[in-house]
Amino acid sequence: MLPLADKTIANWRGWLGRSGGWLLVVGLSLSALSARAAAGPDFTREVRPILEKRCGTCHGRLQQKGKLRLDAASLVRQGGKHGPAVEPGQPSVSRLLVRVLSTDNEERMPPEGAPLEAGQIAILRAWIEGGAVVPEKEVVAPAPAEHWSFQPIRRPAAPPVRAASWPRNPVDAFILARLEARGLPPAAEAAPASLLRRIYLDLTGLPPAIAEQDAFAAEAATNAPAALDVVIDRLLARTAYGERWARHWLDLVRYADSNGYERDAAKPLVWQYRDYVIRSLNADKPYPRFVQEQLAGDELPDASRETVIATGFHRLGHWDDEPADVDADRFDQLDDLVRTTSEAFLGLTLGCARCHDHKFEPLSTRDYYALTAVFAPLRRPQDGRTERTLPAGSPAELAALAARDRELTRLEDEARAVRAKFRDEYIQDDRCPLPAESLKAWRTPPPQRSEAQKKQVAESTKSLDEAAERAWLEPVRQRLAELEQGKQAQRTAVPDLLHGYFLQEPPGAPIPATQVLVRGNPHRPGDTVVAAVPAILDAKPLVKPDDITRTSGRRLAFARWLTAPENPLLARVIVNRVWQQHFGTGLVRTPGDFGLMGEPPTHPELLDWLAHWFIHDAGGSLKKLHRLLLTSRTWRMARQPAVDVSTVDPENRLWSHVPYRRLEVEAIRDSMLAVSGQLNPQPFGPPMFPDIPSQALEANTDKASIWTASSEAEQSRRTIYAFIKRGLVVPMLEVLDLCDTVQSAPRRQITTVAPQALTLFNGTFVNTQARHLAARLRREAGVDVIARIDLAYRLALGRRPRPAEVSALQEFLNRERASRSAEPTVAGASSPDEQAWVQVARVVLNLNELVYPD
Amino acid sequence: MNPNRFSPHRTLGARTRRDFLAQAGGGFASLALVDLLTRSGVSLAAAASARSPALPPLPHFRPKAKRAVFLFMNGGPSQVDTFDPKPALVRWQGKAYTGDAKVGSNGRPVGRLMPSPFEFQRHGQSGLEISSLFPHTARFADDLCVIRSMHSDTAAHASGCLQMNSGRVFIGHPSLGAWLSYGLGLENENLPGFVVMTDPRGGPIGSASNWSAGYMPAAYQGTLFRSAGSPLLDLATPPGTTDRTQRHALDLLNELNGQHLSDPARAQHSEIAARMASYELAYRMQSSAGEVVDLGRESAATLERYGINDRVTADFGRKCLITRRLLERGVRFIQLYSGGGHIEDTWDGHNDCLNNHRLHAAETDRPIAALMGDLKQLGLWDETLLIWGGEFGRTPTSEGVDKPGRDHNWHGFSMWLAGAGVRGGQAIGATDEFGFKAVEQPVHVSDLHATILHLMGLDHRLLSYFNGGLDQRLTGVVERNVVTQVLA
Repeated sequence: MLPLADKTIANWRGWLGRSGGWLLVVGLSLSALSARAAAGPDFTREVRPILEKRCGTCHGRLQQKGKLRLDAASLVRQGGKHGPAVEPGQPSVSRLLVRVLSTDNEERMPPEGAPLEAGQIAILRAWIEGGAVVPEKEVVAPAPAEHWSFQPIRRPAAPPVRAASWPRNPVDAFILARLEARGLPPAAEAAPASLLRRIYLDLTGLPPAIAEQDAFAAEAATNAPAALDVVIDRLLARTAYGERWARHWLDLVRYADSNGYERDAAKPLVWQYRDYVIRSLNADKPYPRFVQEQLAGDELPDASRETVIATGFHRLGHWDDEPADVDADRFDQLDDLVRTTSEAFLGLTLGCARCHDHKFEPLSTRDYYALTAVFAPLRRPQDGRTERTLPAGSPAELAALAARDRELTRLEDEARAVRAKFRDEYIQDDRCPLPAESLKAWRTPPPQRSEAQKKQVAESTKSLDEAAERAWLEPVRQRLAELEQGKQAQRTAVPDLLHGYFLQEPPGAPIPATQVLVRGNPHRPGDTVVAAVPAILDAKPLVKPDDITRTSGRRLAFARWLTAPENPLLARVIVNRVWQQHFGTGLVRTPGDFGLMGEPPTHPELLDWLAHWFIHDAGGSLKKLHRLLLTSRTWRMARQPAVDVSTVDPENRLWSHVPYRRLEVEAIRDSMLAVSGQLNPQPFGPPMFPDIPSQALEANTDKASIWTASSEAEQSRRTIYAFIKRGLVVPMLEVLDLCDTVQSAPRRQITTVAPQALTLFNGTFVNTQARHLAARLRREAGVDVIARIDLAYRLALGRRPRPAEVSALQEFLNRERASRSAEPTVAGASSPDEQAWVQVARVVLNLNELVYPD
Repeated sequence: MNPNRFSPHRTLGARTRRDFLAQAGGGFASLALVDLLTRSGVSLAAAASARSPALPPLPHFRPKAKRAVFLFMNGGPSQVDTFDPKPALVRWQGKAYTGDAKVGSNGRPVGRLMPSPFEFQRHGQSGLEISSLFPHTARFADDLCVIRSMHSDTAAHASGCLQMNSGRVFIGHPSLGAWLSYGLGLENENLPGFVVMTDPRGGPIGSASNWSAGYMPAAYQGTLFRSAGSPLLDLATPPGTTDRTQRHALDLLNELNGQHLSDPARAQHSEIAARMASYELAYRMQSSAGEVVDLGRESAATLERYGINDRVTADFGRKCLITRRLLERGVRFIQLYSGGGHIEDTWDGHNDCLNNHRLHAAETDRPIAALMGDLKQLGLWDETLLIWGGEFGRTPTSEGVDKPGRDHNWHGFSMWLAGAGVRGGQAIGATDEFGFKAVEQPVHVSDLHATILHLMGLDHRLLSYFNGGLDQRLTGVVERNVVTQVLA
């Protein structure tokens, strides 16, 4: 089947691309693959896999013993310190063959494992005999240190373009120049109404309201591009912007509201971190600062409650409160931090180097453990299986709180002493109203009390204290009142601090040395390492900042290194992520992997220009970056290319148009709530619990108690406020491709499967919104059928219906009303007309156009 | 190009889809085209996007089994009371265990060695020893391959269930069923490829983490199937909507979506077309999935054989019969849980292991035997792999002195395989004389996974999924081996 063959090629391309030039053969095609050079086996297809598998560890891109690299035919011919590895046409004198054939164990290659198999040797021999042909256009992968993403970010000049009037900003120039070089025109600009809806969904995850559509139409009549620019600024100022974009960030930092595993306990107050992200984005906190706060908010010179809440980042991961291996548990928690940090901020897959040096990247176990040392001083506040929260505040606030608590203790101790002293006197007093037996017991010195007396004392303590209190003499009463006032004054002067959910470097706690674990085994510690970043990026260890006294300073040192303008990765990685959210795919199509195995950027100069501009001109402002991208002509192109690009650029790597892309589940659900009129805009605070069908609860250990849905009004808040339980993800979110809740998720999967249709067509949520939407249409558009259809389309799709759509809907309504009227009326059911409109609303909410905006 | 019911439509090269749609005629209002799209679905192609093309095609070799059933005895059945006879325990009765293995789970009291009260007898021509808990299963003794030397890495249910299902003690990794769906795709697009049926008392500890797709697309995860009523979530037409209206509403949706797609600017976007097709498939599934759980056409004798008329066996019997019906319809992997919730509602016999096992064995023995008998009669035996066992075993010691409970034991426990590609009538490996620790031919959970994959035509060293910078495998990075003695 032809499409399948094509698919295979497409997959090849994707994978080859991902290998970052490692195996990149320019101009690969099916015919090239099947064509075998007459002069022996194809190096790439037949020889290289053998060399890669058996020789690659010592003679590959990452390591070159004897200065010999065998991962490209040209390098094999070039050879190492002993000269060329092959003599073309002469296998018997080719060092490569001589060494693998050697019977001398000292000589034979590879030195470890079995010798090469006869079939493998035959291929090597045939290739050499055939002339050791270097494949046409062979591209040799650069040495790791020369890898593009590790190079300093420089700002290239925007390239010249022929259609000089097309670019609105430098982004457009970079895109257009490449298109022009390939002779492709950019797509036309999308219709203003489509762009309005696109901008709303993109920035806020919500569709434009009717009044906003009307206002825009009026402004756009004279100058649509300028009117759109104004809308961008307006939307960036809304809370809804942060609510939309915080979710993208939560994907990266493996956010969830529970720990997973057997108890899958809720993470107390973790939602404060989610709110922190929303507020930070809304405040347009510079990105480097945003990163510093999450990694080291407690160590910053201007640490505050806010920056301490930000360090909740460290505690978002899964946590088994009954770990299988207690010794390994601590390293598993550190692993979660190293993995998430390296992938989310650096776009590097350092987690793979836990047990052995990374197979495909210049990352060693030493690099891995050096980064665990950054987080090693952190401790999880817990009482056994129960997690504790801690007061969150600035160092001064925390110090004041500690001082207050010491003073409160002192005052309480004194009050206790005053009361005790009076009671001791009172029991000697005949007016003491205790029964004689009890009084006798009290008057007996404690060591001499009998068992019965001890019991009497215990039983009468409460009544004695009450009686004593009634009998307090004035000086006693006065002193106690003073002490109580003192406590009140303390509490007023220094109120309690709100708690938060984060890890802590306990003051004064010793920090164990960090050792490399051999094969990742916690019982096999190896060399000691100090906190450092991967050596390929910076060979110097991290140095404790001078201004740090309370903590180890390791995270602050790391955060400062990470966010320094010289770091080649931080800015590239984030601008690529923002590009991906706006355009569907990134300039680097492996957003979580900028290493050797990642794909190189489609537009390296544009990526660098953006990264440099972001740090140096925009000051790390994400809002400025959004504005730059959304005001570009590139972003405003239509979904449809101007010419057929299906053969020249099937994957749209040149950006000749902006392809269709399904909305994420949050934007789908929130849009439906907005359309039905039920959206509860209440921001922030504890999460809400959407309905989970009882059927989905049955599979849980504690099916009766595991989930209690919130009120409908609460559930109608935006989806970012939904409780994400690792062991029980709300089915609607799960089926519509919510990200993995355990690991950093650089990209949402987009799948199209029938369970999504079942959920959206039959599920409770959409059918409830359909009823609300039908009622809204009746309420807001009156009895006129056309007016209702018109309103439905404008609410859901931001456009008016076309005549063919109106007639299809009318026909359905007529038929549905007629057949419903013919059926026996069910008690309590609404009228046939109302029911028919509910069905119309249900269909509108399921339209492709709703989830695939133009 | 795959809007299949349970297999994801991944975004592949745009060119592919466009070419296909062009060949198919461009326009998109006709149901014929929807059908065409459906039939053209190749789930392997969808899966392939995360596989490197340098890897061999799937399956790696001719599979012995096309489908598998995992009879998950949730909570951990005791090996010395089921398939691992230890007469020496009679001699050691009341004595303390003095071996080097850590006894039991976190902080529970350690008692004395306790022999099984259940009589072991030799069955079949092979003389395989099976305890009196399973008189019905014992009829198939010559088909069972018991592994007496299983071992795992954890004493806790959560991590134990995770390990048995996904090979890891951590959440976030794809389960065995997800790997099979990913590796082998669907036989029947109208039903899920990976079905899970839990116990009415509740799910296993860790719930959905046990049938998760981890970092793979959600479409590979296990689908919960109810054995009565509406089997799938949101399968039923919503209240107040008649079947007729359901069809009409879907027709209207198709009409409007068709108009949308007929715009030349969109006609080539097959992901939008695939979404249309997914609604038709969902509609068709309403009948195909409903039909599976409708046992109305099964004979009275069949219902009796599965024990559906007996209160004790009714639930598991129903699930086993539905399992047979799912297998007949080509469902790839079915996992049935016996026991749910906590402690004695599962095989987790901390308090009274003996009565616990009497109950749970009685609930499952007859239905499992009925399933095996039917598979043989229907000619499905040679295509189906059966796997029986829990997340670990139990201690040969009692939990607390003179108490009838047994604690968790992960050092050695028993499981059995049967069916396609399995050499029955044998017991592999051995525990020590107490039944504590696997000492002969130890089989790690990941070795079992390697063996299951092998029987399904997959090489555990080659079946991989690229994630987080690594080609991930079900069996992890440590070297694991197929237990060749299992193979017929």
